[in-house]
Amino acid sequence: MTESPAIEVDHLTKKYGNFTAVDDLSLTIERGEIFGFLGPNGAGKSTTIRSILDLIRPTLGSCRVLGLDSRTDAVEIRRHLGFLPADLALYPNLTGRRTIEYLANLRGGVDMTRVDELAERFDADLDRKVGEYSSGNRQKVGLILAFMHRPQVVILDEPITGLDPLVQLAFHTLMKEHVAEGNTVFLSSHTLSEVERVADRVAFIRRGKLIAVERMSELQEKSLRRVTLEFPQPVAASAFDGVEGVHDATSEGTQVTARYEGAMAPLLAVATANGVLSLTTASVDLDELFLEYYRESPAGNEAA
Amino acid sequence: MLRSVYLKSVRDRLLGVGVGVVALFLTAWMGLWAYSGVDGADTYFASLPDAYVDLLGITRESGTAGLMMSMMFGFMGAFVLGGLGISMGAAAIAGEEHEGTMNVLATIPRSRARLHASKAAAYLTLLIGGSAAASASYWLAAQLVGSDISTLNLAAATVHLTTVMLVYGIMAFAIGAATGNRARASGIATGLLIISFLGAGLLPMIDGWEDAGKIFPWYYIDGASPLVNGVDWAQIGVLTAVWVVLLVAGGLALSRRDLLAGAASRSLADRLRDNPKYAAYVDKVRGSGSTKSLAAKALSDKQGVALLAAYGLFVLAIFMAPMFNALADNIGTVVDSMPDAVLAMVGFADYSTPTGWYHGEMLSITGPAVFAIVTVGAGVALATEEKRRTIGVILGAPVSRGSVAGAKLTALVELTALCGILLFGGIWLGSTFFGLGMDVSNIAAAATQLAALGLLFGAAAFATAGLSGRSSTAAWVGTGVAVGGWAINTFVGVNPDLEWFAKLSPFHWALGNYPLDNGINWTGLAVLLAASAVLAILGWLGYQRRDLRG
Repeated sequence: MTESPAIEVDHLTKKYGNFTAVDDLSLTIERGEIFGFLGPNGAGKSTTIRSILDLIRPTLGSCRVLGLDSRTDAVEIRRHLGFLPADLALYPNLTGRRTIEYLANLRGGVDMTRVDELAERFDADLDRKVGEYSSGNRQKVGLILAFMHRPQVVILDEPITGLDPLVQLAFHTLMKEHVAEGNTVFLSSHTLSEVERVADRVAFIRRGKLIAVERMSELQEKSLRRVTLEFPQPVAASAFDGVEGVHDATSEGTQVTARYEGAMAPLLAVATANGVLSLTTASVDLDELFLEYYRESPAGNEAA
Repeated sequence: MLRSVYLKSVRDRLLGVGVGVVALFLTAWMGLWAYSGVDGADTYFASLPDAYVDLLGITRESGTAGLMMSMMFGFMGAFVLGGLGISMGAAAIAGEEHEGTMNVLATIPRSRARLHASKAAAYLTLLIGGSAAASASYWLAAQLVGSDISTLNLAAATVHLTTVMLVYGIMAFAIGAATGNRARASGIATGLLIISFLGAGLLPMIDGWEDAGKIFPWYYIDGASPLVNGVDWAQIGVLTAVWVVLLVAGGLALSRRDLLAGAASRSLADRLRDNPKYAAYVDKVRGSGSTKSLAAKALSDKQGVALLAAYGLFVLAIFMAPMFNALADNIGTVVDSMPDAVLAMVGFADYSTPTGWYHGEMLSITGPAVFAIVTVGAGVALATEEKRRTIGVILGAPVSRGSVAGAKLTALVELTALCGILLFGGIWLGSTFFGLGMDVSNIAAAATQLAALGLLFGAAAFATAGLSGRSSTAAWVGTGVAVGGWAINTFVGVNPDLEWFAKLSPFHWALGNYPLDNGINWTGLAVLLAASAVLAILGWLGYQRRDLRG
């Protein structure tokens, strides 16, 4: 069992009537990684997570956690799992501490000194009623609930909602420590910046379909740079067609703008041949790359 | 006035009011239909003694249709409109704060006074419109059945009922506007409504207290017999002045206070708990919000309501004994000579005997209503976890769905038993201390059968919650089984030709054998428990097989 991946999603499809929330989605998340799960609102992230948790049942396909089937072994899975739902709801008439005690009692075997340690790290006030909490304070309780039993797999759905930057930092540190101990974190978000700093790999999902799974380090390497070239005379953008590493060249008057990756030499060769006057470069950050995944693309580009 | 606020407020509640009106129409139709099939009832009415006629609120001249109409205006319609009126009133302003939508509403560049006026206008439209529609539907029901109601002044009865219900409803509206606390608004108004109903009905029966009922607004629904005598404008004027003053006061208070956001307001119990002197007592009644286990929490979530309801039932059950002694001389023994059909029509309540008195006043309506409040709430609780989206956190822990549903079911059974035990204790204490001499095993039988009836209401709500996950649907179904079952048994049961139909009602199985007189009805008990078990299993299985909400 130790050999099985942390989470496997196997051809998962979830339909609500005619609407397909998740469409034939397959994913494998290995142990010991922080896996980012990115997509716009309504892409099917929460539906996927709720299927893994057995809160909803797949129309087709299946999910496994630590090699256990999400339908038949749901209770056993939850023994090893920490979960923070999106838009967390708790019992307004219980204090933070009573809430944690309740869930700790249901779970059994939770070390309450760990709870105190986490509360301190997040600067969480556990003595007031949840109904009086701000959304950030409620979220802190949710994070404590997800991590208090040192679970092998943690699934977090939009975890940083309402958290201030200091707490976000504490949370990122905690995640990294947790993974360093051999555990796995599955981190769903609609903002790249949340995932960028911590994730080892990211998956992009849109309209229920998996668009891409990338290693974060490769994604950063892939990030393109933009160059603006100034010529003495108008130069057609087509002059850069087929030049190695150059994408999306456009011309406007005597100016040509293009994006490039890798070495600059081939681009410079063509530019010099046209008597380039000046050159400015800027990097295209991950956000822009990310937005590309978000935007509609021709159906052919959507590969699982 | 803000047109869009007005229209949205009306639209939001139109369905609820519509369902209430349709339910009233069906009850009136069914009752008139069943009554019209009973021969010779009018003659027997004429022979009833005055005290008895007064007690039952019948107008002697108007026959069976008049009895049905006074039931509709004085009881069924009053409770349906009162319930709708209070829940709509409490939610009008305070509901927006509870839901957090006041934050959005308050940012529009309009004054709070105009917001209040728009909400009030929508409220009046709904309650007055609903009341008028209900009365029109009674007329329609009479035409469909062919009952003669030409001597009855439905319009006058509507004016009286509507005005009285506006007093309770606007009270909830005003408290909600003044405090922003929806639960407090509906709690106070509902409490007053119930006290009024009991006080206006029971106090005048006691010698020397004939006029005591007049302090309760409820009395004025039919105190002047508007069905026969038309509108008493003096009464209407005073009552209208009362609700107008309440409305204006609520509006003024709203303009001066801080608006609340979300469910952050502190309840009375919270504030009492802050004082160490009271904390222990508050925790005992309300439940300390036990977090030991699923079952302990499920029980303590509902403990406050259940204890209050069961304790109320207990006190009332004791109180009924001295009431009977005070009344016994006035009622006499006329009932012996009354034919079954007529006896059935007045609720089978042979008020000349202690058992008949308790059957009519405790077991037929009040008891089942209290059980329904407790058990339907406990049954719905399964879906409440989904509505509040707390189920995601619960099922993040290693517990099965079956054990979540099982915990809610256990709480339902425990709370039903609690009410049953207190009902037994109350009747037994009353009977013993006031010398009514009722048989203790029969009292136990009655309490057991009533508890089984209550369990069935709760099981119906639980099954719906388990199968659908919708808490409002579950509450409607549980309440529907209770009210529908009562109506079928009460109105259809009177016609011997339709007795088979009455067997569809769980009330028939719980009360049909007069347990206080005849002891336990094992068949009836078995039917109720079997039906509850089937529903519980359905809900339990359904909960494990579907997608959870939230």
